[in-house]
Amino acid sequence: MQPISQTNGKINLDPDNAEHGLAQLVLTVVELLRQIVERHALRRVEGGTLTDEQIENLGEALMNLEEKMEELKEIFGLDDEDLNIDLGPLGSLL
Amino acid sequence: MEDLLYLYGLIPAEEGGQSLPDLKGFDGIGDIYTIPVGKITAIACNLDSEMYSEEMLKERINNDMEWLQEKAFHHHETVLKLSRIYTIVPLKFCTLYKNQDSLNTAVTTNEAKLISAFDLIKGNEEWNLKIYSDDKLLKKQVSENNPTIEAKKEEINQLSKGRQFFEKKKLDKLIESELEAEKNKISEKIHVGLKEYVLRGDVKKSWSNEVTGRKENMTWNGVYLVSKTKVEPFLEEIQRYEKYMKEDGWKFEATGPWPAYHFTSF
Repeated sequence: MQPISQTNGKINLDPDNAEHGLAQLVLTVVELLRQIVERHALRRVEGGTLTDEQIENLGEALMNLEEKMEELKEIFGLDDEDLNIDLGPLGSLL
Repeated sequence: MEDLLYLYGLIPAEEGGQSLPDLKGFDGIGDIYTIPVGKITAIACNLDSEMYSEEMLKERINNDMEWLQEKAFHHHETVLKLSRIYTIVPLKFCTLYKNQDSLNTAVTTNEAKLISAFDLIKGNEEWNLKIYSDDKLLKKQVSENNPTIEAKKEEINQLSKGRQFFEKKKLDKLIESELEAEKNKISEKIHVGLKEYVLRGDVKKSWSNEVTGRKENMTWNGVYLVSKTKVEPFLEEIQRYEKYMKEDGWKFEATGPWPAYHFTSF
């Protein structure tokens, strides 16, 4: 598969290359959600309200999710920059 | 209606005697010319007040990128050419006066300030130094050479898998902040080192990668007022930094001489 080389934060929806563009779009959204979940989990862990077991389970689940994301990025020939989006005043996602 | 005056810059009256280069004005039709105002000479051009009304200019600046680019380039090029000939206090893009009376009043009111600005910039040049860093490379160095981070890594290895995940994320944050601190420390050291060669040095806001179009992050954006006789050693010093720091992911970009925008104001 051809990697999507663009790094300007734009989604490539070229008709001849639509599946790549779509994969990039879907993975960008998934990555955004994953980051939100991860940040939220980190806050809860730091908040000290979770049991050791809950922390352990949450940590493992997020680690697996991160690994899965890496695999998907590799399959679709995308790197971190391709999944980066500008969140306006909040800065960039990655 | 009377024409407007578009102002490019102000020079000392004693330099106003030199012949002005043949340069077209803002509308591309009229020529630029000098207007003596006491001890100061203004360099300006006329603009049709109907064609270049405040509303029209605002509209063009906000909505016509092509026009803005062309005119901003014209302003910059004109001021740059003038700055090679005269000791000039450069004016901001689109500085307009209603008529010569309002220009006279503005110049006269600021005469003392302008004369001290001429004294400051005469025989000196404004240079800009942008320092870029390859953060991936630096991050690696920071995380490998920092004893606090090393110890933390050891500690994390002893933890269970789930805990490790969270601790690694926290460590990443720590490395990021250490990296920023390290980058600032190094850049500041260079800035202080360069002060030996300059009359004044100021720090400006670094530009984002979107503006620079570069992969590396801009770590430092400094402006320096350098005596013409010190420009060469100043640039050589920057080259020396570049030579020693290149392999560690640092890049230096010195540009100039620029009109002294940062060391004068009107």
